[in-house]
Amino acid sequence: MTAEETLALAQHAVELTAADEAEALVVDETLALTRFANNHIHQNVAEDDALVSVRAVVGKRVGVASTNRTDEEALKAVCEAAVTAARQSAEDPSFPGLPEAEPVAVASDRYCASTAAFDATARARAVADIIAESSGRDLTAAGTVASSLRTTAVANSKGVGAAMPTSSARATVLAMGEGTAAGSGWASWTGKDSNELDAKGLGAEAADLAARSANPVDLEPGEYRVVLGPEAVGDILQFLAYTGFSAKAYEEGRSFMSRKLGTAIAQENVTILDDALAPHALGLTFDYEGAPKHRVPLVEHGVLIRPVTDSYWAARGGWDNSGHALPAPNSFGPYPLNLEMMPGDATLDELIGDIERGVYVTRFHYVNVEDPMTVLLTGMTRDGTFAIENGRLARPLKNQRFTQSALKALWWTSGVSAERRFVGEETASLVPAIKVEKFAFTGQTV
Amino acid sequence: MRGIVEDALEAARLAGASYADARIVDTCHEDISVASGRLESLASNESLGIGVRVIADGCWGFAASRDVTREGAARVAREAVAIARASALAPGPAVLLADVTPVEDSWTGPFEIDPFTVNIEDKLEILLAADEAMRAQSPAIRLTKAEMGFFKVRKWFGSSIGPFIEQQWIESGAGITAYALDGNEVVPRSYPNSHGGAWMQAGWEFVTALDLSGNAPRIAEEAAAILAAPDVEPGECDLIIDGSQVALQVHESIGHPTELDRVLGDEAAFAGTSFLGLGDVGKLKYGSEFVTVTADATLPGSLGSFGYDDEGVPAQRTHLIREGLFEGFMTSRESATVFGTHSNGCMRADGWNRIPLIRMTTVSLEPGTWSLPDLIADTEKGLYVETNNSWSIDDKRLNFQFACEIGWKIENGELAGIVKNPNYTGITPRFWNSCDAVCSEEYWRVWGIPNCGKGEPMQTAHVAHGAAPARFRGVTVGVGR
Repeated sequence: MTAEETLALAQHAVELTAADEAEALVVDETLALTRFANNHIHQNVAEDDALVSVRAVVGKRVGVASTNRTDEEALKAVCEAAVTAARQSAEDPSFPGLPEAEPVAVASDRYCASTAAFDATARARAVADIIAESSGRDLTAAGTVASSLRTTAVANSKGVGAAMPTSSARATVLAMGEGTAAGSGWASWTGKDSNELDAKGLGAEAADLAARSANPVDLEPGEYRVVLGPEAVGDILQFLAYTGFSAKAYEEGRSFMSRKLGTAIAQENVTILDDALAPHALGLTFDYEGAPKHRVPLVEHGVLIRPVTDSYWAARGGWDNSGHALPAPNSFGPYPLNLEMMPGDATLDELIGDIERGVYVTRFHYVNVEDPMTVLLTGMTRDGTFAIENGRLARPLKNQRFTQSALKALWWTSGVSAERRFVGEETASLVPAIKVEKFAFTGQTV
Repeated sequence: MRGIVEDALEAARLAGASYADARIVDTCHEDISVASGRLESLASNESLGIGVRVIADGCWGFAASRDVTREGAARVAREAVAIARASALAPGPAVLLADVTPVEDSWTGPFEIDPFTVNIEDKLEILLAADEAMRAQSPAIRLTKAEMGFFKVRKWFGSSIGPFIEQQWIESGAGITAYALDGNEVVPRSYPNSHGGAWMQAGWEFVTALDLSGNAPRIAEEAAAILAAPDVEPGECDLIIDGSQVALQVHESIGHPTELDRVLGDEAAFAGTSFLGLGDVGKLKYGSEFVTVTADATLPGSLGSFGYDDEGVPAQRTHLIREGLFEGFMTSRESATVFGTHSNGCMRADGWNRIPLIRMTTVSLEPGTWSLPDLIADTEKGLYVETNNSWSIDDKRLNFQFACEIGWKIENGELAGIVKNPNYTGITPRFWNSCDAVCSEEYWRVWGIPNCGKGEPMQTAHVAHGAAPARFRGVTVGVGR
């Protein structure tokens, strides 16, 4: 469906909804993913789907119903189901009503025709280029080459009406050696335009890292000076968002931001923001309520600034609406989908060069939260962990378990790289490498 | 639906597929949650679509669409064949499938009361009452959550070797969580389990039997007590783990490593591989003599049960570990050919738009002989922990670290006070070999896990684990505290 068609469908659903207020979200999507392992394609999939989600408001009662069918009969049914749910639901005295219409700057460059043309044959050719970099070096490659095309529209009974198409493409590579002392390396790319994917270069980056990380050795548990690569920094930002950057967590008193705005939690070199309008950003420039997304400073020069909001939590907390609503019903609260950490002025070599004895981490694996208020995380390192000795990358290390507060890691961040990478999936972050003076490794794999 | 499935299979054949299967899946989902006295979410969703999986030129292809018509099915089948042919640009060995006997059959999961026929008001009444009961218990309880959810699934499967199978089932789940806050800490306490509560293949009767309101005061009281409790003391101790956490321990450190696709490297770039190798079957001492683990898709009412998997293979019960010795993997028709055997029926897809992957069924630690009071009385100095709060494990499923919501010190065979943040860490085979006691059938129950992530694109499987409390000697606890 075109943007006009999805918007018309959303507006039609709003008209069909016999409630005091109504909102409709329509998403039409085509997703494809080619997956490879052991140097060949082993899974290769494509799908087309749609979502029509209707939020009905009766007084202060709200109900949501959704379907993936778009025929008239299904539309009427889903609108009725939303109204029925609203009538039977409990009243929420805090519900401020659906948001009023605001001007939305719809970005014209978020959809690339080249990504739409990135078909199964093109994906397979990219995979072949990636694999060649490993198979020629007695390594095996695994990973994905994927594309997604979406057209999203939001309309409500107060005049909100916004629609735009978006595209994204992504490739990941894990290169591995064989045997118990094998190394592994990782590389990834995410962007709007599949033409920008350098498959051969990505495959080579992972293969180089795999070759370099063979025969890893032990590391004694303890606190070390570390350099975290952009993939690892991206994970830290995602967990800060998950635990604390939402106004819901803030207002409920379970965020590290709660009652601490204006407080320094990190060094001056740490600035974190969310900016859906940035040139590199993926996705929508309006949120799932149709409100315009705004650039939000979250941590500025180490100081906590503010959380992100949607219409409900903006009204509850007396904030402005920053345009960070997720699709209704949203028990998680508003969420930053376009995180960014500002660059410093160091090269990666300079960050490493300053460390006499430490650890370099390419990326993390299976991170989880043990304490949300301190953002105490545990997880493993993976695919390229190295000792730093006398300012240089030295022996590869076995994968390490860390148990470390992300907030304390920011507090001990003493260096930030000038170069940044765009890491992650469709909620990718633009992040630098950072140097952290104290980082706790609490175990390792065998 | 049969005609649409048959049209998809015929279109795949005409396009050159040497094998094809087609699944139509119709899913209804309802989700209700109340938080701190406020209705936070009331939503229903319906999703209908068809997925066609083919082998052409020796490679896999899959396409899926919400267009469930004869024309749509044929289009999707042709697209799947084109995708398979593209796969041949980076080919591996030609795909082989183990034999399966084609059947025409139907299967229905057990339930008494269809939850989709129950009024929303009745559901809200239970949630609001439980939510209120938690908040009334203690001023430290500043946040509460009560939630329930339901799935109704109908699935039609056919393949080019002739089967046609219709299956339907209902899943129900509910749970409550009280959060105690003091400005510096947030501690959760959940019933009957964390991360969404308890889930079964069952109807509304399962939710009412949980007695959320009756358990709410105890949960709230424990949350307040945890907040005031000291941290667990770091070090090594004998650890008794409750059934729900044993279930997650089994899930992460036995279930996933024994999925044969992980061992073969199919998941390497995402969730990782396994420390197990093909040569470990019948040789590796995975655990102590008290550790016997089964994979069972036939257990009535379990989230891991079905009549047939998504390759048309009948549900089975097999041993993964018997008295500590590793016996075998969970398999698919393709992976079973590695051993020259038949599939043990573990291929399931998360809906019409996903390919089947090897997924856990009901992977259970079989019950032992102990009562929980006797086990605690038999432990001189240790720690008893309940209910998962956090989980992490490495890419080969060896180094794990779990945190639980609540712990009790054990001193001289008695519970001796609550401790908070009780986490523990270990290495999988060492840990299971340190197990010296498992509680009896009286303490054994099936824990549904409706959120098992695997695959790219991500799939969320509904699986389950039977488990009872168990004891592990010399475990490292209090990591990073």
